[in-house]
Amino acid sequence: MKSFGIEFVPMELFWRTTYYSIQAEHLGYDSIWITDHFNNRNVYVSLAVIANYTDRIKLGPGVTNPYLIHPTMTAQSVASLNELAPGRVICGIGAGDRTTLEMVDTPMKAPLRTVREAVEIIRRQIAREKGSYEGKLFKTSAGARFNFRVNDPIPIYIGAQGPKMLQLAGAIGDGALINASHPDDIERAVKLIVKGAEKAGRDPKEVDIAAYTSFSVAENEKKARKPVVPVVAYIVAGSPPFILEKHGIPVEKAEKIRSDLANRNWGEAFGAVDSNMIDSFAVCGSPDQCIEKIETLFKMGISHFVTGSPLGPNVRASIKLFGVDVLPHFKELP
Amino acid sequence: MEYKELVKSIPRPMREGLSENLMDILLEAKDGGNIPSSVAKMILYYWQRDQLASESGLTSLLRALVEADPMKTATVLDDFGLDEIKLAISPAEG
Repeated sequence: MKSFGIEFVPMELFWRTTYYSIQAEHLGYDSIWITDHFNNRNVYVSLAVIANYTDRIKLGPGVTNPYLIHPTMTAQSVASLNELAPGRVICGIGAGDRTTLEMVDTPMKAPLRTVREAVEIIRRQIAREKGSYEGKLFKTSAGARFNFRVNDPIPIYIGAQGPKMLQLAGAIGDGALINASHPDDIERAVKLIVKGAEKAGRDPKEVDIAAYTSFSVAENEKKARKPVVPVVAYIVAGSPPFILEKHGIPVEKAEKIRSDLANRNWGEAFGAVDSNMIDSFAVCGSPDQCIEKIETLFKMGISHFVTGSPLGPNVRASIKLFGVDVLPHFKELP
Repeated sequence: MEYKELVKSIPRPMREGLSENLMDILLEAKDGGNIPSSVAKMILYYWQRDQLASESGLTSLLRALVEADPMKTATVLDDFGLDEIKLAISPAEG
């Protein structure tokens, strides 16, 4: 089954993000992911409002991280959200965004171990497991159980880009959010997720594999490409060297972009984004072009496609364009 | 300001198109932050039920747009030939 999600960055007024979420539900999207960065509106406040004004669509953080939010608090947040939207909550977690973590002097230490233990704690908390948790990085005592029950499963999706995190997603995730848009990167990522699942003795089909893309659709390619520039800048800034090298992007160029972003030199940062970077890190174009690109990604082995920021030159129009001209190509709509 | 009464005068065939145009303005309005959250929540309530083109939905939209962008709203109302409502939301002329 092919699923389609949409990501919103809560930079907008709460009612705008919620308006677009309702619009997505009306058009037949399957999931909403709200990003979690301290310089935007709070992820769980945003999700709670969306939960109140939607009825069926799944929703959750995409992605939170265990460096800035302790996993017991993430567990609490998604469990509480489940009371507002029973059976609809999903939880995306990853190592976070290096650029923004650096802004608050929080190093991304031991990301694999941190994410693994965070996922274990979240599951333990939701299941109200007894006893303490003795991880290498996190510890919880027996008294840390919830005072309330969680009546529905909350699938955990691991956000990943590097090979080891992708394998971890396959090994322990209910889903994987591949932070990539190019078919070569998706193909490579899917193989690693499958490898991780098989090594852990799991059927890879148990893992809902999502391409979490930077996306933009408009009536023509030119209009679709322009809005992705700022997002691609952040992606380039946060990409590991081996990914940059695979796409022929000099590491020094990426480091300069990261530095400019951290210092809010937007003009410099965005001005450095070129055509190759856009092709490497975004899915964008007219509806027909997007259909072709998305079909290719499904052939690479994903089961879920997420339209991530910026969505298009006009958010409302682009959500509608995708819902009316792209979605019906892939699925029967309500 | 009794928008509810004014909205009743909007011909039914026009309401869907009008609500779309008004929502476009609202989503792009620079002063969107001026909208009382109670009004914003009413709009979301009606949108969730696909009732923004109803009398109550349109009333909420007008209440919001008076704060967010009365000038652009007046232009759209003019385009739709809704002079009475346009006058009602334009304090200088009302």
